[in-house]
Amino acid sequence: MAQVNGVPRPGAAPGQPCIFKLVLLGSGSVGKSSLALRYVKNDFKSILPTVGCAFFTKVVDLGAACLKFEIWDTAGQEKYHSVCRLYFRGANAALLVYDITRKDSFCKAQQWLKDLEEELHPGEVVVMLVGNKTDLEEEREVTFEEGKEFAESKGLLFMETSAKCNYQVADVFNAVARELSWREESKEGQRQRRDAPLTLSERPSWRGRCCAH
Amino acid sequence: MVAEAKKREIKEAHKRKKIMKERFKQEESIASAMVIWINEILPNWEVMRSTRRVRELWWQGLPPSVRGKVWSLAVGNELNITPELYEIFLSRAKERWKSFSETSSENDVEGVSVADREASLELIKLDISRTFPSLYIFQKGGPYHDVLHSILGAYTCYRPDVGYVQGMSFIAAVLILNLEEADAFIAFANLLNKPCQLAFFRVDHSMMLKYFATFEVFFEENLSKLFLHFKSYSLTPDIYLIDWIFTLYSKSLPLDLACRVWDVFCRDGEEFLFRTGLGILRLYEDILLQMDFIHIAQFLTKLPEDITSEKLFSCIAAIQMQNSTKKWTQVFSSVMKDIKEGDKNNSPALKS
Repeated sequence: MAQVNGVPRPGAAPGQPCIFKLVLLGSGSVGKSSLALRYVKNDFKSILPTVGCAFFTKVVDLGAACLKFEIWDTAGQEKYHSVCRLYFRGANAALLVYDITRKDSFCKAQQWLKDLEEELHPGEVVVMLVGNKTDLEEEREVTFEEGKEFAESKGLLFMETSAKCNYQVADVFNAVARELSWREESKEGQRQRRDAPLTLSERPSWRGRCCAH
Repeated sequence: MVAEAKKREIKEAHKRKKIMKERFKQEESIASAMVIWINEILPNWEVMRSTRRVRELWWQGLPPSVRGKVWSLAVGNELNITPELYEIFLSRAKERWKSFSETSSENDVEGVSVADREASLELIKLDISRTFPSLYIFQKGGPYHDVLHSILGAYTCYRPDVGYVQGMSFIAAVLILNLEEADAFIAFANLLNKPCQLAFFRVDHSMMLKYFATFEVFFEENLSKLFLHFKSYSLTPDIYLIDWIFTLYSKSLPLDLACRVWDVFCRDGEEFLFRTGLGILRLYEDILLQMDFIHIAQFLTKLPEDITSEKLFSCIAAIQMQNSTKKWTQVFSSVMKDIKEGDKNNSPALKS
C-alpha cells in the first residue's frame, strides 16, 4: 500500500543532488527517531513514539559529490512490522538500529535483515548495523565485538552511536552516503580517482570490513 | 510619522479589543451551552441525542465540564464492563508486573511468549513517559502517571488478543484527562472495540486497505486536484492516515483541537475520522499542491502547530461525505464486496 514508484531515483535530475531513500529499522525505543533528529536538526529530546512512519530530508555534502537523503523513520513496535515492511521497498539504504543495552533489540535487528533480504536484492541496498545508546555503557548487554562480528559476517557496515551525546551520528549517515555515492560512481563507470577526500583507497569497503573505530 | 504611529496604535487597540470581545463571547457561549447540556440534554439523553438542535450544538464543541460524560454516553458500554471488572484486570496486571520484576525467566503460560509480553510491558513503561511530554503529568512522578500505566496494563490483560499497540497511550491519556479512572477504562475498551479501531489496532492489513480505499473515493470526489497530485507521486493514504487514525489525531493536532475532533467522532462515528483527514487536506490544499512526495509526507506527519479549530472545522464542514448517491457506510461495504470478488478473480492489483 505504500508508494514505491514515486520516489525520484538517483541521478534523476541533472545538476541536482542524487536522491536516496534511507529507511530506519529496528525495535521500539532503540532510538531511530532520535538518530534522525540528531542528524537532521542536531537536537535531542523526548520523542513521541512513531506511529506508522515519519519523514526527514537532509542534503549531504561529500566534497566531490552532493546527495540528498529522504529518511523514512519507521515505527518500531513488533505489531507494526507488517506495515513497515511496505516502507522499505525502493530503499537505497537501511540503518538497522538496536539498543546496546537490550539484547532482544539486537536479535530483532537480525530479523529485520532477513526481511530486507526477502524484499530487496542483496547488494542493491547499503545496509548499516547501528548499535545506539553508548552513553549507557554500564547497562550494556551487546558487546562491540558481537555487533561487529555479526555485521562482518553479513557484509554490513557497522558503527556504535549515541544520539544523546551526539557520538558518531553524522559519521553513520556520512559513511552510508559515501558508500552510496561510490556505488553510483562505479555504476556509471566513472572509476577514476578524484581530488576529493573520497577516493577508492580511502572509502570503507562494503564487504567484510568494519568502518567503526 | 507620529500620526502614522498613532494610527497604527489605534488600529492595534481596536484589534485587541475585538479579540477580547470574541473571547468573551466564546466563553459566554460555552457557559450557556454547558447549562443546556447539563439541564436539558443529559437528563434526556436517549431522546435528545439525535435531535437536530443537539447535533448542531454538539458540532460547536462540547463544554469541557460535560465532555467526558458525553463521550462516555456516546461511546456506550457494549462490552458491559463494570468498575469491578476493571479492578480485577488491574490486579491481574499488577501481579504480572510483580512477577516480571521478581523472575525474569518463566515458562510460556498463555501461548504468548514471556519475552514478547515482557517487551510489551517494557514498551508501555517507555511510552507512558513519552505521552504528551509537554504537559508533564504522565511522566514518572506526575499526577497521572500511575493511572495511565494502570489502564494500559489492565487493557492488555483484558484483551490479550489485541495487546498493547503504540498509539494507544495517547488515546488513554486523552480519556484520563476527561474522565475518572474506571470510566476512562470503560470508554477506552469500548472505543477500541469499534470495527475501525479494532481493524487498525490488530494491524489487520486487508481491512485497513479497505478503509483507505473508501477514504480515497471521498478524497477524489472532494479534492480532485489534490487527489491527482498525490496520485502522480503514488502517495497513498497510509502514509498519513495510519498516524491520524491510530491516535485519533491526539498526537497530530493540538490537544484542544483533537478533543473537538473527538467530540464529533463520538457523534458521527468512524466516518468523521476520515472526514477530518479530508478537512486537513483541504485546509492545506494550496501548500500541498506545491510540494513533492517527501515534503508532503513530512508535512502531513508533522502538521503545523498553529492550526486553528475555526479554520479546520470550516474545512471539515465543506467536505461532503455523500458520494453522488452513496454514504460512507455504503461506499465502504461496496469496497468490501469489490475486494472479495477481486480475491476470487485473483486480482493482483489488490495484493499489496
